[in-house]
This record gives sequence, structure tokens and C-alpha cells, in this order.
Amino acid sequence: MAVVGRYLRVYQQFLSSSLSEAMSFRAHFVLLIVMDSLFYLTTLLSVGFIYDHVELIGVWGRWEFLFFVAFMLTIDQIHMTFISQNFWQFSRDIVEGKLDFLLLKPIGGIFLVFFRRIRPATIFTLFIPWGTLLYCGIEIELSLFSWLLLPFFLLLGLVLLVSLEILISLSMFWTYQSIGINFLRMQFQSVSRWPDFVYRHYFRKVFTILMPVLLIGSAPVHFLIDREWLPLVGMFLAIFVCWVLINIFWKLGLRRYESASS
Amino acid sequence: MSVLVLEARKWAQTMSIAFSDRLAYKFDFVLYVLGPSIVFFFIKYNLWVSIYSYQTESVIKGYDLGMMLQYQAWILIVSFLAQGHTSLQLAEDIRLGRISSYLLYPFSFWQYHTAAFFSLQVIQIFVATVSLMVLVLAGLLPVNLDLLIQGVFFSLLVGLLWFAFQFTIGLLAFWLEETWVLRVMLMLVAQFLSGAIIPLELYPDWLRSLLLYTPFPYLAYIPVKIFMGEYDASYLQTLLILIFWIGAVFMLARFVWRRGLRLYSAAGM
Repeated sequence: MAVVGRYLRVYQQFLSSSLSEAMSFRAHFVLLIVMDSLFYLTTLLSVGFIYDHVELIGVWGRWEFLFFVAFMLTIDQIHMTFISQNFWQFSRDIVEGKLDFLLLKPIGGIFLVFFRRIRPATIFTLFIPWGTLLYCGIEIELSLFSWLLLPFFLLLGLVLLVSLEILISLSMFWTYQSIGINFLRMQFQSVSRWPDFVYRHYFRKVFTILMPVLLIGSAPVHFLIDREWLPLVGMFLAIFVCWVLINIFWKLGLRRYESASS
Repeated sequence: MSVLVLEARKWAQTMSIAFSDRLAYKFDFVLYVLGPSIVFFFIKYNLWVSIYSYQTESVIKGYDLGMMLQYQAWILIVSFLAQGHTSLQLAEDIRLGRISSYLLYPFSFWQYHTAAFFSLQVIQIFVATVSLMVLVLAGLLPVNLDLLIQGVFFSLLVGLLWFAFQFTIGLLAFWLEETWVLRVMLMLVAQFLSGAIIPLELYPDWLRSLLLYTPFPYLAYIPVKIFMGEYDASYLQTLLILIFWIGAVFMLARFVWRRGLRLYSAAGM
């Protein structure tokens, strides 16, 4: 318990320093809100425009599909607020050797590297994805049981997304320039924003088993809508495997890391 | 030696440096510059195949599956030919006070970045050619030489418009700590309003009519329609409108540059 308390107190400091930093650049703060809002609106409108001309995509009608998209955007909103910035910072820290100073601190390295920076501006855009998620949930008449599971599934999706992204980011220890790895990470995110049935046979298998980004949204939403439970098991398994690999590659990466002075 | 030859040498030399700079980290280049367009195409390809496989009607707003995939494949080619990535380094030059160095060079700030843009265009043309060959061999794209020449010409001009937009955004680094947010906003708005995600025929009529008064359809929809041989408006008129937009955005860039220089304090000098 004492350890958890210590981590929470450190995280409180992260929140406080990130907020102070964000308020120092107010124009940037406002632009971030506009950028995120544009992203959510253009994504939702694109799906809406397609459904003006078709009845179904795969097996889902407009509201089921929009529920899925809103589910993914909600995960994205939490991810953008609390995690995303750290991956960009990690690549800079490795290249510039700033990781040395982080590794010296008396707290878990992975926690410090991937959870240190928070983007408060994104909190202000929460009403778009969350509002859409709730509205679509009402439209598709989610059961009380599904509503109760929804927050837990959002968290589960976020955990899998972050786990996969940390695993991908650890490859930065082996590359000289890391901006490309960040773009690779974002491309996997793009793939995950569409339901699994959109992808053709082999691609679906690759993105469900080898790089299970399709489980992030498809597994929970299939359970909520179609009561398919098997993908959920796969999701738990994927999270477990990811963390085993993260622990291995983090240690190997640190051995590979040459620090600022070399 | 004439001034013209000396000037041409400077441009060639700068392009060569920018070329090497771009390709210094090839894996990074592939993931950063080519990856997003390829993944964007991959998702849309799968999405539209999935949509059509569940429809009772085989034509949506004049597009059957073959035409829709063709549309998306041409979007990929246009994105390679036209979309630049200029403003990142440009903004850093301003933010880190590096534009003072250009005062010592025999080449101005805008000349350097324009030459860098041209060198990237050379790489992008090569990538577009290879992609086109793959798509033709895969049976996704038919090739008509006349339309291909017209489409490539138009797309390269669209590249200038993208460059003008990105140059202007990069210059806003005189006022802003970070300009990447504006770059992403431009990408989001442009992708949505240019028809890069879905053809403009699928948009509501009022929005499509409104968009024709903006530069956005010129960034993707119109070049693709030219490639597909389905553009029935006057080419000359379209060309003049595109040139107007390029000129207008460059004028804006010039204005922003002059205003920005008044603020510039040459950090690190």
C-alpha cells in the first residue's frame, strides 16, 4: 500500500507540473483543443456520410458502428490526455541522452518514462467522444449490464493499447532516429479504429493475433453488442504477453542504451 | 560564368544536401513519410471492400467497387506526388534561432526550403512511380497515358499549393512555441474536405457546393478525377483557379514572414 501511495503522490506532482507547463503556452493549449475536436468531428462525420448511402457496414447499422467509433475515440481521448505525449518525449530522451537523469530517480523507470507527461488541454474535448458514446449506447439500447461493463471495458482497451505502444516504443533503443517508430505506433492506432470485420481474412488474423490492435475495440464492443466472449479472453492474454515482453525488452533496451556521454 | 549558371548550381547543391539529409535514416523516412499514406490506403481499401460485400445495390452514388478502389488508389498516388513535409524543419529553424545563419549563406531562407521541397518531390515522384506500377500490375488501376500526364502535371501543381500552406504554417513559429498542431489541423481538415477519405459525391449537396469555393477539392478530389478521366469542367479554368490559390497562399506567407521578422530576436547569437 505504501508503494502505491508513493506512486500516487508522484503522479499528483506530474499532473501539477504538466498543468503549470500547459498554462504557460496558452495559444498552444487552445490550439490543442481545436485540433482534437477537429479529429473527433471529422472521424464521426466521415462515418455518418457513408451511412447516408448504405444500410450496413459488415453486420452493423449506423448506431452500432458509431458506438464502436465513439468507443475508440473515447479510449483515444484518455490516451491523448494521459499517455500520448510520453512516447514523443521518450524518443527525444533517448536521442539526447536525457534518459540518464530519469533512470537515476528512485522510482520505476517504465512509470517515469511513460506516465510522466500529461496533456491537460485534451480533457476539455471529452464531451465529444463521451457524449457520442453515451448517445449511441442509448440508440442501440445497451442493457444495464453492458452499461455497467462499459467503463471497465474502456479501461481494458486503454491498457491493451498502451501496452502495445510501450512494446513498440521500446524498439527506439535500437534505432538511431525514433520519429518513424512514433509514426508506426500511430498507424497501428489508425488500424485499430475500425472494427475487425472490416479487414480481410489474413489481415484480420495478423492484427488480432500477431499485433493484436484489433482486440482493443472489437473485443469489448463485440461483447457489449453481440455477446461474443472469446475475443475478450484473447484481450487478457494479449495484455499479459505484452507485459512479459515489455519487462524483457526494457531490460535489454537499457543494456543497449549508450547514454548521453557516449 | 553567367549568374544564371551559378544560381542553378546553388539550387542543385542545396537540393543534393536536402536529398541526403532526407534519406540519411531510410527506415525512419519510410515510416514517417510513406507509412501514413500506405496505411491510410490499406484501411480504406479494406473498408470499401467490406462495405460493398454487404450491399444489395452494387453502385453507391455512381461508384461500383472497382471504381471506388480506383478512386482510393489514385488518392494514394496524389498524396505521394503532392503532400510535402516542409514546415517541420522550417519551424525549428525559426524557433531555435537558426535563421540568422541564413544571413551568412549565399542562399536565402525561402530558397533553402524551396530547394528542400523540390528534392523531396524528386523522391516522392520515384515513390509514386513505383506505387503506380504495383497498382497497375495488381489490376487496380488502368493507365491512359494522356490522363496520366495531365494528372501528374496537376498533382505537381497541387504539391506547390501544399508547400505554400505548410510554408505559411511553419512561419507561424515566429509567434507560436509549437506549429505541429497547426500542421495536424491542416492535415485533418484537408483530408476530410478534399475527398481524400470518401469521394465528395457522398457528401451532402450543400457542403459539396460550398467546398467548390475553397482550395480543398483541388488537393485530392479534382486531381483524382483527372486521373480517372471523369473531370468534365474546363481544364484551363481549373488550372487558373489552382494558380490563384497558390499565389494567394504564397502572398500570405510573404506577409507573415515580414511581420514575423519584426519579432525575431536571433536566439543564441
